[in-house]
Amino acid sequence: MTGAVFAPGSRKAAALMETARGRSLWDDALRRLSRNKAAIASLILLGFMVVAAIIGPHLTHFTYDHIDKVDVWTPPLTAHHLLGTDSLGRDLLARLLAGLGVSLEIGVVATIVSLVIGISWGAVAGYFGGWLDEVMMRFVDILYSLPFTFFVILLMVTFGRNFILMFVAIGFVQWLTMARIVRGQTVSLKQREFIEAARAVGLSGRAIIFRHIVPNLLGPVVIYVTLTIPDVILTESVLSFLGMGVQEPLTSLGTLISNGAQEMELAPWLLIFPSIVMVATLMAFNFIGDGLRDAIDPKER
Amino acid sequence: MIVPRLIAVAAIAAGALGLAGCHKPAPTRQPCPQGKVCMEFGNVGEPVSLSPLKITGTQEDRIVSDMIMGLTQSDPEGKPVPGVATHWETSPDGKTWTFHLRHDVVWSDGVPLTSEDFVYALRRLMDPTEAAEYASLLYVIKNAEAVNSGKLPATALGIAAPDPYTVVYTLEHPAPYLLELAKHQTMLPVPKHVVEKWGDAWSTPEHYVSDGPYKLVSWKLGDHIHLVKNPLFYEADKVCVDEVNYYPTTDTVAAEKRVRSGELDENDTFEANRADFLRKQMPGYVHSHTYLGTDYFVFNQRDPGPLRDRRVRLALAMSIDRDFITGKLDHGIVHPAYTFVPPGMANYIPPPVQLWTTWPLARRQAAARVLLAQAGFGPNHPLHIELKHPTSSAALIIMPSVQADWRGVGVVATLAQDDAQILFQDENYRNFQVAWASWIADYNDAMDYLYLMKSSTGAQNYSDYNNPAYDKLLDAADNEPDAGKRAQDMRQAEQMMLADQAITPFIFRTSLSLVNPNITHWVDNIVDQHRTRYLCRKGVNVQH
Repeated sequence: MTGAVFAPGSRKAAALMETARGRSLWDDALRRLSRNKAAIASLILLGFMVVAAIIGPHLTHFTYDHIDKVDVWTPPLTAHHLLGTDSLGRDLLARLLAGLGVSLEIGVVATIVSLVIGISWGAVAGYFGGWLDEVMMRFVDILYSLPFTFFVILLMVTFGRNFILMFVAIGFVQWLTMARIVRGQTVSLKQREFIEAARAVGLSGRAIIFRHIVPNLLGPVVIYVTLTIPDVILTESVLSFLGMGVQEPLTSLGTLISNGAQEMELAPWLLIFPSIVMVATLMAFNFIGDGLRDAIDPKER
Repeated sequence: MIVPRLIAVAAIAAGALGLAGCHKPAPTRQPCPQGKVCMEFGNVGEPVSLSPLKITGTQEDRIVSDMIMGLTQSDPEGKPVPGVATHWETSPDGKTWTFHLRHDVVWSDGVPLTSEDFVYALRRLMDPTEAAEYASLLYVIKNAEAVNSGKLPATALGIAAPDPYTVVYTLEHPAPYLLELAKHQTMLPVPKHVVEKWGDAWSTPEHYVSDGPYKLVSWKLGDHIHLVKNPLFYEADKVCVDEVNYYPTTDTVAAEKRVRSGELDENDTFEANRADFLRKQMPGYVHSHTYLGTDYFVFNQRDPGPLRDRRVRLALAMSIDRDFITGKLDHGIVHPAYTFVPPGMANYIPPPVQLWTTWPLARRQAAARVLLAQAGFGPNHPLHIELKHPTSSAALIIMPSVQADWRGVGVVATLAQDDAQILFQDENYRNFQVAWASWIADYNDAMDYLYLMKSSTGAQNYSDYNNPAYDKLLDAADNEPDAGKRAQDMRQAEQMMLADQAITPFIFRTSLSLVNPNITHWVDNIVDQHRTRYLCRKGVNVQH
């Protein structure tokens, strides 16, 4: 899934550079990445989880909201329930797969929202500079100072309770950091010779930003994305915990864990399995982020 | 280089787990002055106010009743016994009650308590500009309803103070439960001299004065409310506990751990499905007792819509699998409800249940489908409703089960959870379709439940039930001197209201509390009232 986020950009970037040189920066990066065992293992694990979240719910014996009126709180491996049932008699495996799907979905969609807004905003502010930069970045500062929970409550009061709203709310907050990173990179990039050259040939500001600056930003952006997705998944669980996120009977990893923690001594499996999945997901994203950083910018190592 | 990275990842993972539990590091027990007896109590929520006029919940009642003493008070068993009134007389027609006050009662600032404080409190409660939510509970007092709606001046109220130590109440109709009402917050006195000086701000810790066993010292919002013994209380020498702290414990599982660690002495609820586990883990702590409390669904009938259709309400009521909720989800600690007035209510026999309640679930669901089809809903045109409920662990277990039951008969229900305060607001302003409501008895009489569906009740008649025949039966009960006939009228009224499914009861509550076994004189009772003044700790000697 992460692949899908940056692949088009990277291929484009690679194509641009291939005309000049035989082996591009991105080829090198890919080669270095493929040598990083932790990152590759994480990619495979993540791929497996994505497939499980998409196909899994169709294969399980029960749906995530089916209430088994006989088997309430059954431990794993009893009565057709591979991972046991929760306090309502709902199959944990089915709920885990549904929750994983919801969490990944929120993670990816909210990250894309933040990516689109953040890159455009930061690149424009950084490239044009001057008063425009000042105004745009002060706006970011103002939004930064807005308490997140308050912002979400405000959104909920205005637009009502809505699943889509959560994507928007989280994406809306996450783009701020992205905009700052991108602006900083842009400011340093625009001093470079190749931008001078582009300007000398008479390219418009818009063309320079999207053809020359943005592709060169992708390194730090890709790394930041891999850190944003787990952050978003965590934020979602905070919102769900406060009753502002996913509504029952739908679930997410965060909701499953917070419910599991309540019943820890009585039904430990309700905490253990969702935690394993959550930790594995977060670790996978972090290893991939690490691997990408090493691969794209070997100087940092 | 790999090591710091692993630590970072581990920290994130630990964060994920820690966040899920959301347990703050438990603060240790509040320091207690040398030689004093201190109690730390867990309270189900943060009080809205400590002014008797403004409060509605049990979490406020238990604090205010520790401080302000009414004409009567709860004894350790929750029954009314003399408070600041030493004795009283009733007129032969049961409509005039004369209370004689003790002469030695002073407010905690030293000003004597007089009958004027009672008159002033009632006039303030019934003042339409105060908009006290609970005013309708005292409509039994002569002209109260007219005064509360602004039709008559406050002086027309059926209360008089012929001398500083006598209060006379004149009623609209005989009320055998007046002594129960006299210990309820609505009938408590307020310090006239303080309220006149400070207005609404009198109930803040700076200005609060009380005539009961304790006085207010401080209130840290969201943290705790601190009370100390009132040395001017007329029976101060019989009070064992010197200081009390009340903590709002909305996370009941966390509160349970605080009781186990000894940080709290008591918490006034626990999750029903954890009862068996807690009995094993904390032997001697678990208290459960029959309780006058019902959980029910209300239907918004002010909005034109399907919920005005009796068949739809009946179908929703029929299809709920109450036995699964009470048996499997709550492990038999609460009881399924098909009628509204809880069992155990004084002088009352619940009406016979409707025939459908005896059917097995499958048959009820089939009947519900037929009813919905008659009302114009079916597989191609399902009924869509939103069900509002409070954000409590109990609701989060029960509501998805109700939702699934309704889905079983083709009703698409979405759940909307809100903070309890917001939910009450929504219910008062009828901003809901179907909502969870709970009613805990204010006094031990069926009328306290049945008056809720009376058309004149207003805000608390959440379903806006309006049935002249029902009102007439309750009025007849009010004017009936014979207790047996009175009960019969009320019973008939309840049966009528249930046939209409004005509301759908589903659970009879059980009072659940965790009490440290070293607390003495704790008596489980049907109203779940345990005044701190009676409690003590093992090994502490006090004359009772």
